[in-house]
Amino acid sequence: MSEIVMPRLTDSMEEGVILSWLKADGDEIAVGDELVEIETDKASMVYESDLAGTLEILVPEGETRPIGEPIARIGEASPADAGEAVADGDPVGRTSPGVPSGTPTAPAQAPVQDHDHAEHIKVSPLARRIAKEKGVDLSGLTGSGPGGRIIKVDVEAASGSDPATAAEPASPAQSAAASPPADSAKGPPETVELNRTQSLIARRMSESKATIPHFYLRTVVDMDRAVEVRAAFKEEATEGETVPSLNDFVVKAAAIALRRHPIANAAFRDGHFELYPKVNVGIAVATEGSLIVPVIKDADHLSLAEISEETRRLAGRVRSAEITPPELAGGTFTVSNLGMFGVTGFDAVINPGQAGILSVGEVAEKPVVTDGKIGSAHLMEITLACDHRILYGADGAEFLASVKANLEEPGLLA
Amino acid sequence: MMAEIRMREALRDAMAEEMRRDGNVFVMGEDVAVFQGAFKVTEGLMEEFGEKRVRDTPISENTIVGIGVGAAMAGLRPIVELMTVNFSLLALDQIVNHAAAIPYMFNGNARVPMVIRMPGGGGHQLGPTHSHSFEALYLQVPGLLVACPSTPADAKGLLKAAIRDENPVIFIEHESLYGIKGEVSDDEDEIVRFGEAAVRREGEDVTIVGILKMAHVAEQAAAELEEKHGISAEVIDPRTLRPLDLDTILASVRKTNRAVIVEEGWPHGGVGANLSTLITEQAFDWLDAPVQRVTGADVPMPYSRRMEQAAIPHEENVIEAVLAATEGAIGPGKGGS
Repeated sequence: MSEIVMPRLTDSMEEGVILSWLKADGDEIAVGDELVEIETDKASMVYESDLAGTLEILVPEGETRPIGEPIARIGEASPADAGEAVADGDPVGRTSPGVPSGTPTAPAQAPVQDHDHAEHIKVSPLARRIAKEKGVDLSGLTGSGPGGRIIKVDVEAASGSDPATAAEPASPAQSAAASPPADSAKGPPETVELNRTQSLIARRMSESKATIPHFYLRTVVDMDRAVEVRAAFKEEATEGETVPSLNDFVVKAAAIALRRHPIANAAFRDGHFELYPKVNVGIAVATEGSLIVPVIKDADHLSLAEISEETRRLAGRVRSAEITPPELAGGTFTVSNLGMFGVTGFDAVINPGQAGILSVGEVAEKPVVTDGKIGSAHLMEITLACDHRILYGADGAEFLASVKANLEEPGLLA
Repeated sequence: MMAEIRMREALRDAMAEEMRRDGNVFVMGEDVAVFQGAFKVTEGLMEEFGEKRVRDTPISENTIVGIGVGAAMAGLRPIVELMTVNFSLLALDQIVNHAAAIPYMFNGNARVPMVIRMPGGGGHQLGPTHSHSFEALYLQVPGLLVACPSTPADAKGLLKAAIRDENPVIFIEHESLYGIKGEVSDDEDEIVRFGEAAVRREGEDVTIVGILKMAHVAEQAAAELEEKHGISAEVIDPRTLRPLDLDTILASVRKTNRAVIVEEGWPHGGVGANLSTLITEQAFDWLDAPVQRVTGADVPMPYSRRMEQAAIPHEENVIEAVLAATEGAIGPGKGGS
């Protein structure tokens, strides 16, 4: 009995979708038979069997699996299985499960691997906890423990930061992999090891661009009214009171629009649309050498002032490095603003697990033509990146128009 | 002053010191007086304290313990010796239904400050009627304290503490350990408090918990693991099972992320089964592998020497369990810890 695992069909592929099985469960397979059609980050490809025997399908069509995860088994007819299971272990323990064997030994040895739960990842409790803390995705890891169990060393290797051994020199294999070719024409580079967050950003952004079909919708928002309203807020504010920023206006405008357009408050996942009942807006916060996206929970239910306070609180916690995983989790949409750096507009990369991201440029007074006359207004460019698997052009445009309308008539934000 | 003495002498000294300190302490049991104990633990006691305080009894375990319970309730501090752990089953009614329960039944108005000493364990070809390990059985009973010393110093310190305690104490001795030698204090005021585990060896990779003779087997296995496998094992001897110093064990498991429990008793409902559950309940997120148990075989103790040896855990069984617990985590290319 041999396993067929999700193959690596492209260099950048991290997972594949089983589009269709070209053979049925129980079919006799010969080497070279076309077995399954797999959708990768780049294209759909047909995978040919390099094994012969009876096919047992483990992963149904439409489901996604990371590279290396079993998707099927090829084996002989079933009677052989029982013999194999008994042959490789202590016959006493195998034939009388639950009753410890007659010799003094550890009775806790794992029985034959449970193949009925192909989706279950075997992972030690400790490894699971560390993975959660470090944001490591367990589904991509190969376990070193008994029966392929993912244990602490695997998670620490994957996260690239092991606090316990951080001070120890890297093993020879790691050093070799990290050192650049000596004769580089660029000169000897300074090699900087990524911290956990940087690794996560690299992985998730690559995954996003490689697997999410992005397209972009752009519009210009007349922010005159918003600027006026904000000025009024500022005038009225007492000493020390928080005045909502224009970005807070954008977050609130997006939250209201998300509630009105559920397909934008959603994600494409494993061949399904997932529509979320809560509107949680992530805000991209830059820190030194990093980018963190804390989440304003239930942003559609919060007032402008509450959004403003929550944003300042979260940004403060990001900068003081006190932010905790729960404060970064659960985002259903993201707003990224580079206007304060003078950027007029840009196309952000979608955070995987969300249908879109809104890029916000600077607010600047610019000439505008109204009824043939040149005047001026405070304009701001906003760009919506959409995952075309779920958020299509017209839906995205309606959502974007909604955001624009909310900002141009700030009374709608109340 | 420290002196190197055998465990049986340490136990004798504990009783003698406490009998000198407190006139209410007395010893009774089968062959404890004239014959000076089946394992010579009461040697010299009758000579010093007389037949009134060191009393031979008929072969009648339930009655002996029953007299002890009554004497304790009336204000004395009996030390009852039962010739083996196996024979204590004859007295289970007095131990479980009376000694353990009476303080609860009378809301603490009646106390049962008595010690029931009993040697157990295999290895001497005494067959299934003399060689069992019933720590788990007594551990289960609320109202009883359970001590299981593995060194002469602990044997003395724990027995003195047991005699001074207001609760009934099941004091389990291992027949194979009576002859081992160790440094023991002759300070009459020094006791070993119940509920304080001893860390016999510090380590980083795995926690091995062993009781009685298995505390020694665990230490020997740890030495070999270090030498031959590069595995650093921490060895903990709980010394008392009730109260249990779970904090020390959990602290160690949180450090090593792996636990192996070694006992001579049976696997089902054993000391290891219980401790494994406690560790899993309270340190689940710190475990990198399932808790492993090394236990006696699930059979009545055989008489045949080879079969008896095969039914008792040895170093290689402990090493095997540790290797199973550390598989994949420690070894070439893993960077260890």
